[in-house]
Order: sequence, then C-alpha cells, then structure tokens
Amino acid sequence: MSESLDIDAYAHAVAALAAALASRDQQAFRTALSAFDSVRDGEVLTGVRKVTVELQSALQRFEVDSRLIGLAQHQVPDARRRLAHVMKLTSEAAHQTMDLAEQCTPLAENIAGDAAKMLESPASRVAADAQVVSFLQRVVEGMGLLRARLTEVRLAQGFQDLTGQIVGSVLDLVDELERALGELARITDAAGGMAAKEQTISRGLGPTVPGVGKGDALAGQQDVDALLQALGM
Amino acid sequence: MSAQQNLNFLVVDDFSTMRRIIKNLLNDLGYANVTEADDGTTALPLLKGGQFDFLITDWNMPGMPGLELLKQVRADERLAKLPVLMLTAEAKREQIVEAAQAGVNGYVIKPFTAATLKEKIDKILSAQAAA
Repeated sequence: MSESLDIDAYAHAVAALAAALASRDQQAFRTALSAFDSVRDGEVLTGVRKVTVELQSALQRFEVDSRLIGLAQHQVPDARRRLAHVMKLTSEAAHQTMDLAEQCTPLAENIAGDAAKMLESPASRVAADAQVVSFLQRVVEGMGLLRARLTEVRLAQGFQDLTGQIVGSVLDLVDELERALGELARITDAAGGMAAKEQTISRGLGPTVPGVGKGDALAGQQDVDALLQALGM
Repeated sequence: MSAQQNLNFLVVDDFSTMRRIIKNLLNDLGYANVTEADDGTTALPLLKGGQFDFLITDWNMPGMPGLELLKQVRADERLAKLPVLMLTAEAKREQIVEAAQAGVNGYVIKPFTAATLKEKIDKILSAQAAA
C-alpha cells in the first residue's frame, strides 16, 4: 500500500509540538500530541476504508465470475442447442410440407387428365349431359389452379432457408459468446476485449432482418433489376 | 423436348429445402437434369469435372461462399463463359455491384417467385444464344 502521507497535516502537528516543547508548555504539548495522534488515526482510517472497498470489489467480481461461468457452461450451450433444434424442426416441417405437396400434385394432374379425356371423347355418355360437361370443365380448371397453388406451397417453404440463415448467424454469435465467456471466466480481470467475429461482405451478410444492421439493402427484386440495369447488365 | 431442356443445371445452396425448391421449379420448367451441391467447395470440382450448362448458386454458405465460387468459375478457362445466376438473400447494393463486377449473369433475391426464376433463366439463355 503506497498511500501518500498528509505531510502538511504532520508538519502542522510537529510544529505545534516543537513550539510547546520550546515553551515548556505542558498543556500546549498535550494538545499538540493529541492533534498529532488525530492525523495518524486519520491515515489508518483511510487505509482501512481502502482495504474494505477492495474487499467489496473482489467479492462483487467473484459473483460476476461465478455468473459468467454459469453462462458459459450452461445457459449459452443450452441456447445453442435450442436454436439448432429450431433449425432441425423447421427443416423437417418444410420437407414434410413439400413431400405432401408433391404427393398431391400427381393426384390433381390425374383427375384433371381423366376429366379432360372424358370431355374430349365424343362417344362418351357424359358428353351429352350439359351439367356433367360443365362439372368436368370446372374439374379441369380447378385442378390446374390446385396444381399452381401446390407449386406456391412448395416455394413458400423457402422460409426455412431464410429463417435458417438468420438463426445460423445468431448461432455463430452464440459460439463466439461462449468462447469469450469461457475466457472471461478464466481470467479474473474481466476487462479483456471481446472481439466479435467480423462479418464480411464477401462471406455474405445473410437475409435482411428488420431493425438489425440497417444498411443499404435493396427492398426487392425490382430494385435489384434496376441496379443491375444501371450497371449495364 | 427442346435442346434447352437437355441443359445440365448445378444448384448450389447449403439449405436442402432451398435446393429441393429450385430443383422442383426447374423440373416444372422442363429442365430435368439438375445436380445439387451444398457449397462452393463441393460445387467447384463438380463444375470442373462435369458438363454443366448453367450454375445457380446461393451466396452465404459455409466453406466457399457463392461469390468466391463465381470468381473461381470466371478464373477457369473452361468455365469462364458458364451462365451463373446468383439466387440469394444478400440484398446490399455493394454486394450486387460486387457480384456484377465478378461476372454474374443474373441476380435474384430471396424470397423469389417461380415467374422471376423463369424470367431470369430465359433472359440469360437468350443473351447467351445471341452472343
């Protein structure tokens, strides 16, 4: 502990002691000695206060370190597992939806094909019945629409790619956080730098997320086409 | 079947759902020959070893990203003229400029429609036929 002395206070007390000694004034000497003791007591108190603050700070840091260890060992890996599970579930759901849509497409095609054949066959008994003909025409038309909608259902499963990329970038962040927390927990000095993995344009930034990383992302395909046209493509 | 429908497509995306969607759409458009790869690192040897006529690639992928794949394709004498369509969620202006400078033939941002994909493929193929 290299606390600086209050030299002026000591100088003042010593001068008072010296003056009392010179004048052989006992009362003044006692008073000056008492003042000298007060200066010393003050110094000791300051020291005790400093040690107390340091002890408190050490205890607080110990609590923070314990919390960091908990985060690094449990919460963060847990968060990673949860996110990975979300990726797995959405991927499975998207594939299952596509499986079902693919199974429905030939059903619609077959029904439409059979109805068209019946309509095209002049010898067919149904061709004479206007109501049946109208129904078959609606079947052909409806199945065509159904097929188109099933294509859209399959296309809509692209959400899994977009959300997956976003979750993937959060997973990268979680990995980085886990590593940084591990280091922080090991080093008691928690002031170390937490260098986040830098995302570069050449590696790709992932889908645009509202409110996150607002930059000059284009709003849609029309803007992309306009930009490419401006670039001479 | 037209000559164009015999074209060999390579679809590169790290998400199996997206590869499946693109493959299905290509099949619907009459393109039956579609091969898949999950990033640039697996795609490049396929491109160098195979007879591909069209490359559709994502940008943000582990391993080799799509932009690097595009640059490697353009740097390869045999592949330099290969039509490349970037199909990606990357939508920053500077990225599109960079892809254009690297020699991409078309750029479609996700989410996309079947009509947009068809339009861009048709445009690239007709530009290639006219060249």
